[in-house]
Amino acid sequence: MPELERELRGLGESLAFPPTPDLAAGVRTRLPERAPTLWARRLVLVAAVLGAALVAGLAVPQARSAILRVFGIGAIHVEYVDKLPGVEPGVPLDLGREISADEAPFRVLESPLLGSPDGLYASGNVVTQLYGTPEHVRLLVTQIGGRALRPEVVKKVVGTTTNTDFVAIAGIAEQALWIEGAPHVLSLPNAPERLAANTLIWTQGNKTMRLEGAESLDEAVAIAQSFE
Amino acid sequence: MGRPLEESELVARAQRGDAAAYEELVEMHQGIAFRTAYLIVGSAEDAEEVAADAFLKAYRALGRFRRGKPFRPWLLTIVANEARNRRRGAARRQALALRVADQSRPGDAAPSPEAAAIGAERRSRLLEAVDRLPDDQRLVVECRFFLELDEAETAAVLRVRRGTAKSRLSRALDRLREEVLDDA
Repeated sequence: MPELERELRGLGESLAFPPTPDLAAGVRTRLPERAPTLWARRLVLVAAVLGAALVAGLAVPQARSAILRVFGIGAIHVEYVDKLPGVEPGVPLDLGREISADEAPFRVLESPLLGSPDGLYASGNVVTQLYGTPEHVRLLVTQIGGRALRPEVVKKVVGTTTNTDFVAIAGIAEQALWIEGAPHVLSLPNAPERLAANTLIWTQGNKTMRLEGAESLDEAVAIAQSFE
Repeated sequence: MGRPLEESELVARAQRGDAAAYEELVEMHQGIAFRTAYLIVGSAEDAEEVAADAFLKAYRALGRFRRGKPFRPWLLTIVANEARNRRRGAARRQALALRVADQSRPGDAAPSPEAAAIGAERRSRLLEAVDRLPDDQRLVVECRFFLELDEAETAAVLRVRRGTAKSRLSRALDRLREEVLDDA
């Protein structure tokens, strides 16, 4: 080992860190009652919720209902409506073309917490990281690059039975939007409208980020904070 | 008495909601978690909170952890992330209160040849030089030599690829070499 490395190792051995406090007991008392959510169990849940919503979706008239409120976060445009538009059930997920990281139109942010995605897709300026398979999605992270996009590039239509909350996330300058509860309708350019599960939307640098499929706001925030 | 449970078994149990198993995992890793947080936030008090919060976040995210993979790099990613969030907005963290310990603490094993090879004064100077490094270079040196993390764990803490961590370390070592070896 070269001299400097040997000296550094020796220095490391002789350093006095503050003593490690006993964290175990304190952490244990703060653990949530329920077991951590395992993907397999959660998927069944999401599928069940989606199934129910599809039935409800078919029952509403096709005509678009009154728009109650509209606003945008980054490149995403959110509309509140009193009734969701009907959405074709069983539309296959269309994320665009599968690409390698080098082919992405911008530097795609990554989350060490999530690790490498199982698939990377692009459609224009919209890049999606897929966890799971297109048939069995565990989690989707969509990144929309650039500020020059038309604001309606991605549209989300939210019914009155879906909860939306603006949330502040440490380390993220602008407010984020959390959409939870009954599925909402997502409309991406060049893809059919589809129903979407719990979603967090935030902006990071000049990108608009969208995370779909987190179990809870806590989990979504932890994931959002991990992107770099 | 059975032998201690394997880490992977503890993870599997904790994933099923076994709090005692998770407490054991915390005990196994709290030292490295606390010290990693300490190097990033620079205060023992903050590091304690950061490490505890990170263990809670890790528990909630445990469903995503792939069994059979090493737990430590994954945990350290969460710890480092939590520590950076805590530090964000604040100025550069204060110089570490790390001290070169007395060489002969009672009860200690004899110092290793490496530790014995250099005197206390020189070690203090080296420590100061490490602390003067730019943040990203300082952390890579601290991870490798003070925390004795391996390459994968270091990359996890820095949130960069292994290759990047390696080249950053080599730049940091070049700089230290210039600073401390030349005037030795």
